[in-house]
Amino acid sequence: MTFSRNIWDLALVATLLLGSAFIWMTRATSGAVAMPLVSEPTAAQPAPLVGHPAPEFALTAVDGSQIALSDLRGQVVLINLWATWRPPCRAEMPAIQQAYERFRDQGFTVLAVNQQEDSATVVQYMHDQRLTFPALLDSDARVSVAYQARALPSSFFVDRRGIIRAVYRGPMSRGMIEGTVEQLVAENP
Amino acid sequence: MLPIIELGPLNLGSGALLLVIAIFVGHAQFERVARRRGGEALEHRASRCAPFALAGAAVGARLWYGLFNWDMYGRSPGLFLAIRLGDLAWPGALIGGALAGYAYLRLRRMDDTATPLADAAALALPPAQAIASLGLLLSGEALGAPAALPWAVPLFGALRHPVALYYLLAALATWGALAWIARLSAQPGTLATVYLVLQGSALLLLEALRIDSLVAGGGVRVAQVVGLVMILIALWRKRTHTVRAQ
Repeated sequence: MTFSRNIWDLALVATLLLGSAFIWMTRATSGAVAMPLVSEPTAAQPAPLVGHPAPEFALTAVDGSQIALSDLRGQVVLINLWATWRPPCRAEMPAIQQAYERFRDQGFTVLAVNQQEDSATVVQYMHDQRLTFPALLDSDARVSVAYQARALPSSFFVDRRGIIRAVYRGPMSRGMIEGTVEQLVAENP
Repeated sequence: MLPIIELGPLNLGSGALLLVIAIFVGHAQFERVARRRGGEALEHRASRCAPFALAGAAVGARLWYGLFNWDMYGRSPGLFLAIRLGDLAWPGALIGGALAGYAYLRLRRMDDTATPLADAAALALPPAQAIASLGLLLSGEALGAPAALPWAVPLFGALRHPVALYYLLAALATWGALAWIARLSAQPGTLATVYLVLQGSALLLLEALRIDSLVAGGGVRVAQVVGLVMILIALWRKRTHTVRAQ
């Protein structure tokens, strides 16, 4: 009886020690989330493609202010081309808002570039959905053209150096957004 | 990946949709297994206990997620009550569900059926976990670390461990093992013990491959700690029974 109890006690202690050691060895470090999304960019020409500098634009926000992409250099930016009438755009907005709330303090922002709708419609939608990130009005679709947005929504993740690091055409899940942002904000400028 | 499923005018998040299906399947399987193993009496108790266990699982899952995302939830405590199906954590669901189910049985003086019901739950949970893991896979959650393996999946510009797929396979393997053992052993509590060992091991090993784990101080992944505790509980239970039997 004593022998059996000792064997079990030994098994318990061994499991505890080995398990704890494994947990400690595989703990999350900042390096684990700072893996590069893609290899270092080699192209210098602005283009709406991964690895290229994001094409520059300046638009009027729904609050009347002017926002230029270059003003946000040093931050991770999600450029989301969208419209209130597109169901997939509406579907992903709560996830974008959540990522914005979670990572804003770490230098992440969103530019929700609305496609050719009037300001009142966009303001009402942002208010109803409690979306607090900047919404810009792409009234003449110039950003849409520059970013070759064949589908709505189209999303471009821009790193702190102004390089596009991920492009998604179609709706994104929360995991896709936060997985991408988490890695980009962990990178040094 | 298929993060959003468009059904006519409806846009459903695939992760949330499969989570709801998983809950329905798990619930139905729980009652079915209880009936098969303990007749109508056990099925009746299972059906009375299940709503409390589910409510406890929901509360535990959200509390767990919120506590380990305190930077966001501390600023907006209203999020604890928000309908956000993505903001749930499996370890919290397991602990909350088990505690609430057991508390209900104790209060109703039905705790003599706690062990057979735990066995029924052990057989009911793996298929539900497999469905929920498929939801994680479709929605791109449970992001894996970069890996140069033949089965790595391209995600966010890199080839990565398909951790959600690993969890799915672990759930199916657990289900298969438990179904096999259920035919061999009638010893009450065996299925629950084996479940704790297998799923505890899955949490301990697979969580290490994720890069979006909920972490505590020092970067320790809390799900791994839960996995280790599950294994230790199973070993402790086995030790107690073995020593008592001698």
